[in-house]
Amino acid sequence: MKVLKFVAKRLLMSIFVLFGLSILIFLVSRVLPGDPVRMALGPRAPEWAVQNMREQMHLDKPLYVQYYYWLSGALHGDLGQSLFTRRPVMDDIKEFLPATMELALFAGLIMAIFGILLGAVAGRYSNTWVDNTVRIFSYVGVVTPSFVFAILFLLLFGYLLRWFPTAGRLSAGIPRPPAITGMVTLDALITGNWAALGDALWHMVLPAVSLALGGMAQEARITRSTISDNLRKDYIGAARGFGVPERLVMLKYLLKPSLIPTASILGLDFASLLANAFLVELIFNWPGFSRYGINAMLRKDLNAVSAVVMVLGIVFVIVNILVDLVVAGLDPRIRLGAERGK
Amino acid sequence: MRKLIFLAFLCLSIVGFGAIGLADGDRVLRVSFSWPTYIDPAVGSDYSSSASFVNLYDTLVYPDVDGSPLPHVARSWETSEDGLVWTFHLRDDVLFHDGTPLTAEDVKFSMDRITTIGEGYGFLFVGRVQKTEVVDDYTVRFHLSQPFGPFLTTLYRLYILNKDLVEANIKRPGPYGDMGDYGKEFLLTHDAGSGPYMVKEFRVEEELVMVKNPNYWLPLDPETPDEVRFIGTTEPATIRTMMARRELEISDQWQPQEAWQALDAIEGVDIASFYAGTEFYLMINTKKPPTDDVHFRRAMAWAMDYQTVVDHIFPGSIQARGPIPQNIPGADPNVFQFQRDLDKAREELKKSKYYDQLDQLEVEFHWIAEVPDEEKVALLFMANMAEIGINVKVVKVPWMSVVEEMAQLETSPHIVSVFDSSHYPEAGSLLESRYHSSSAPTWEQNEWLLDPTLDAMIEDALATVDRKERFAKYAEIQEYIVDLCPTIFLFEQVEKHAYQSAYVDWPTARGEVNPVMGYNMAARFIKVYPEKRQELLGG
Repeated sequence: MKVLKFVAKRLLMSIFVLFGLSILIFLVSRVLPGDPVRMALGPRAPEWAVQNMREQMHLDKPLYVQYYYWLSGALHGDLGQSLFTRRPVMDDIKEFLPATMELALFAGLIMAIFGILLGAVAGRYSNTWVDNTVRIFSYVGVVTPSFVFAILFLLLFGYLLRWFPTAGRLSAGIPRPPAITGMVTLDALITGNWAALGDALWHMVLPAVSLALGGMAQEARITRSTISDNLRKDYIGAARGFGVPERLVMLKYLLKPSLIPTASILGLDFASLLANAFLVELIFNWPGFSRYGINAMLRKDLNAVSAVVMVLGIVFVIVNILVDLVVAGLDPRIRLGAERGK
Repeated sequence: MRKLIFLAFLCLSIVGFGAIGLADGDRVLRVSFSWPTYIDPAVGSDYSSSASFVNLYDTLVYPDVDGSPLPHVARSWETSEDGLVWTFHLRDDVLFHDGTPLTAEDVKFSMDRITTIGEGYGFLFVGRVQKTEVVDDYTVRFHLSQPFGPFLTTLYRLYILNKDLVEANIKRPGPYGDMGDYGKEFLLTHDAGSGPYMVKEFRVEEELVMVKNPNYWLPLDPETPDEVRFIGTTEPATIRTMMARRELEISDQWQPQEAWQALDAIEGVDIASFYAGTEFYLMINTKKPPTDDVHFRRAMAWAMDYQTVVDHIFPGSIQARGPIPQNIPGADPNVFQFQRDLDKAREELKKSKYYDQLDQLEVEFHWIAEVPDEEKVALLFMANMAEIGINVKVVKVPWMSVVEEMAQLETSPHIVSVFDSSHYPEAGSLLESRYHSSSAPTWEQNEWLLDPTLDAMIEDALATVDRKERFAKYAEIQEYIVDLCPTIFLFEQVEKHAYQSAYVDWPTARGEVNPVMGYNMAARFIKVYPEKRQELLGG
């Protein structure tokens, strides 16, 4: 019940945040120089054709009227027409968002599993060669942008070794499974299309790893640091003194509380994957939402820009709520604090 | 141990999928392009869209490599004496992809559709084609509102749609009244053509897959590709990797200089370079002091170091001669060409009314932020002008802002550097779009010539139906323009594509360059040899 109340309260606050975001992005996208319709139709299109499209998109109306049309459409699930793909933005989102979600989910899994694992091992064996190696990896991972990894992997595993495919979500000879979720791996799994599943996973390796490495290094660093600190605390010594088995000490008394800061960062890192995937998607010709969003901004595709920012905003809000719930689950002090504050 | 074996198996399986993909004998042509690609002939007009039209649709006339029209769907044609009525006699053996015959009704529908929508290449016909008349099943007649000599060459852009198929897929209501959306939604991902290739799959922002039309009315060489894929990426590292893995047959033209060298180093890959009719102009505002003085403009033209630009900044390009690229029909090969000569530059500058105020004047040079190499040209220009005492301020401006600046005389800078090309393969196209008063408020003209004499000359040339006579008039106009020196005609851009010379026979790479954008990507002229590809792959 308390959890439901917490979630409801956060959701209510989020509505105001998203409303503010929608006004901000609506205004910002419209004050940039250049006529978006003229850009879309080209410099030689007759003025009446340009005017027709302006009218269709309500761009001939004052800003507040445009916003009213946009908001009322959005509330009914109509985010308008894209100037460049020439179809409803909602169709674009349905096509491109699952591709990026799929990539981000795989990258997120890699980030979480290997980040925590490396951090835990480094923390447990702090100041040994294992710790030093993980620390070096972490620093390199944190400071290197994901597109650098993408190019390196592309050239190493795609160009020199030729182990992995370099572009797209499926090979030319593999028919695409019917779109149920839009995520090729999941659709292939649901339909039992094993060839497509294997091929899709095989296409996923390089982009997902490239995308995950930065966050993975970050999680490893934070987990290592917290574990290393907690390892010196009295309650660990007491647990050992009472003869609690080492495995239980490590997993229950050390790792679980040490994951609180990691979980907070992990959630935000995951949400950031969606926005930061642009260059990775570009390099691996991955038809994703992030690439779509950046292209929309470069082309001043007004409805698409607003939609992309709003979707990312919603993802951030949801992830933040989830992170708070996870952290509360991991740390009883937060739960108790919330109850006392009630 | 079991876990280890499972992991090893998993890794091997993943790597093993490397074998999946194309079968050895697949005759496929893959070309990289920058997106968006529109396959609706009334919507797209960029490079990749044009290349897709050429493969999916047929036209009444087809451009020869010298730009002149050859019969295609139209067996023959005739023009009225006043140049207002053009009659075309169609072949009766052309079938659409669904097997229905192509008739005059389809031609009329296609013209009506493109002029109603007004997008894409519609600007070539809007206001010019007054009416399209179906004389009989295989005769169609266009009535023009004014004589227009290059009309035949604009018909390279009238792609003929299957009327019945489009009408059956119209979505109502739509912005075009009774015609609803005029089939725009359907044609976003489907074709309605009769061309040598048909759409198999179209994934927006990702890939266009076309397969050979088995019933094409012209013979297709068996070595032409069975499948053509236009892939939406121009990322240099990706292109390089795909070319090396033989997963791409022809690259896009947007690769940076260092990428061409890397691509050329790949065994079996060569670089095809040709001049496709794009020129780089330094557009000078002729209404703003001090560039309103012709002597001042000529001094700048004499002082410019053209050789450094073509040798080092845009290697492979050639110095432009006048306003029209030399491969465009109607370009004057004898028009005067400025060369760097500082003595002549100083001499001209002395004649300028601003000669005594040079230290107080500043010329603003705006270059396009999205094209980094333009900065090098701007800085070279600044250094060259400093040698004769002209102060230049170099300003980096995003393209969208440049377009806004150039929309009004008051905000147009002294000089803007811009690439431009003709809309149809004739000099008249660029002469009109670059120098006629009607184009002054667009990004195609920063010169603001607003010269009634020049306007009349251009209008007269365009109204001349006789090709030879028209070309003679084009030459006069070019001389007139060069004499005014409203532009520094810097260079003709070289278009480069990396291609798999070891297993692809591409006529364009052999020098058979078509001056009409997109026609060099007509897959029916390109031969692919998969067995040679296999040899390269070591299979």
